[in-house]
Amino acid sequence: MSSPTSAVEITGLTKTYDDHAVVDDLTLTLPDGSLTVLVGPSGCGKSTTLRIVAGLETADGGTVSIGGRDVTAESPRTRDVAMVFQNYALYPHLSVAANIAFPLRNNGVAKDEATRRAREAADRVGITALLDRKPRQLSGGQQQRVAIARALVRTPKVFLFDEPLSNLDAKLRVELRSEIRRLQQDSGITALYVTHDQEEAMTIADQLVVLDAGTIAQVGTPEELYRRPANTFVAGFIGSPSMNLLDGTVRDGRDGTFEGDGVRFAAPGVDAAAVTLGVRPEDMLVAPSEHGNGTVEIVELLGPRYVFIVTAGAHRLTAVVEAATVAGWGRVPAPGDAVTVDVRPDRVHLFDGTSRRRLP
Amino acid sequence: MKARIVLVGAVAVALLPIAYLLSLALRPAGEVLNSSLLPDTVSFENFVKVFDTIDLGTMLTNSWVSAVGAAVLAVVIATPAAYFTARHVRGDRLLTVLLASYCAPPIVAIIPLFFLLRYAGLTNNVAGLILVNGIAGVPVAAWLLDGFVRRIPVEIDEAAAIDGLSVVATLRKVVIPLLWPGIVAALLVTFFLSYNDFLFAVYLAVTKESQTLTVGLSLFQGDRNVQFGQQAAAGLLGVAPVYVLALAAQRYLVGGLTTGATK
Repeated sequence: MSSPTSAVEITGLTKTYDDHAVVDDLTLTLPDGSLTVLVGPSGCGKSTTLRIVAGLETADGGTVSIGGRDVTAESPRTRDVAMVFQNYALYPHLSVAANIAFPLRNNGVAKDEATRRAREAADRVGITALLDRKPRQLSGGQQQRVAIARALVRTPKVFLFDEPLSNLDAKLRVELRSEIRRLQQDSGITALYVTHDQEEAMTIADQLVVLDAGTIAQVGTPEELYRRPANTFVAGFIGSPSMNLLDGTVRDGRDGTFEGDGVRFAAPGVDAAAVTLGVRPEDMLVAPSEHGNGTVEIVELLGPRYVFIVTAGAHRLTAVVEAATVAGWGRVPAPGDAVTVDVRPDRVHLFDGTSRRRLP
Repeated sequence: MKARIVLVGAVAVALLPIAYLLSLALRPAGEVLNSSLLPDTVSFENFVKVFDTIDLGTMLTNSWVSAVGAAVLAVVIATPAAYFTARHVRGDRLLTVLLASYCAPPIVAIIPLFFLLRYAGLTNNVAGLILVNGIAGVPVAAWLLDGFVRRIPVEIDEAAAIDGLSVVATLRKVVIPLLWPGIVAALLVTFFLSYNDFLFAVYLAVTKESQTLTVGLSLFQGDRNVQFGQQAAAGLLGVAPVYVLALAAQRYLVGGLTTGATK
């Protein structure tokens, strides 16, 4: 069934709670050695999928195979997976060294060998100095490093990460995510990573999977999903600030115009009646103008960029403008000021108004 | 400050009967029936004579052996039971059933228990008391331990499963080490329940060799003139070690090991 280059194959996976399908006929392949991120809003089924791969939940339908072996009916301990939990889940009664060596000792590795390998793993995540401490004596970031070392120590077939950074502060999150990425690449072990944070997902994924209500909205590289979102759900979920999505109609065929609820933009390339126009905030064109078609509502300075929330017609549009550009205007527009709003015609995304899918 | 006054008051009220017991035990036989709160003369004769009146040594031994045995038996059964009730989807319902059985008045079980024990040859036998009190203590112990298991984050069990442990091994290597405060608490509570048991003991162990302290204390009431002083002395001798035990084990009843397990 599975090709030798795919470490994990998920086929037709279904899980239902109280007549509500949390995972609905999900099929996904994790290429060998890659890091796949499942991302989506809460309740989209990403954690459930991960837990089914771990063997902590049983699927109502479908199969999971790891390394070409069907493990659907197996318990977690025979699947040869390692997992990092959101709340660390360290063994509080054991020292850091014993925590890291724990999976080895349970799988018949001799004590000296286990201690040596635990030391090595601790060294790789930079916690050698903490080996004799108990988990409660460590900070959150240190605890999660111990948990990562515990996962690394026995070179499993698959790494599973269940929102590993969600309990940490922003600075530590950024630091640890690149470290997880580095450790995963060094080890060459296939990984499945769940997060609700699209930025985290974008920065570490080889393969990015956006889930919506238990089904896959899109699979691809982070760049593919950002450049060519397959539907309005992915378009709105990936990227920050979120893409502007406007319902309306395109007139006059190719090189036509988009019209919807009081705005009108050039929208080439599509000849369709009802559409949703998607424009990323950085692809909006804003300029101060006394007779502009929009009004500034909110202005935020985010380091090198300004974010303008502008009302135009019946829409609230988000635009991101480089601070250098704004400096060229002589004056930063304030709430209530009139501005002209337009879009870069070559950068717009068009979606079918009813199916919400990308139009070619 | 106000809270402290209330606390001191509550402790004083709780200790008053014990203080009066001490006062009774420390006065000579002639002074027992005068209504003074404190003895006029202090005498230790009651503590000596009580050993002649009843076989206090045997009774204390029987009480301790049966209560320790019952506590151990109850906790050995209740620990895996609580692990199930706390972790399994249908555990809540089982715990309710278990507790409901504890609400029935124990005296309804006396006659069947008597015949069952006689059939097993365990009447008038400390082993019989261990069995009956131990099993009677299971619901309380399980209910107590259930709460302690629930305080252990379930992710720790899940991590253990992923790290290669079976359910039994997870209980043994991960859950029980974290459950020690709960196990000690459950041991203490079931110990006190069986140590204080009168009903089972008075029906199921009536010979001199198998009598427990509670039964022994009641025997004073059968005499023509009640030896209040000696009864008080025997009561003190029975209750003192238990008080010390409760004080010594107090820290196990408070606090928990799970701090630092998860955020």
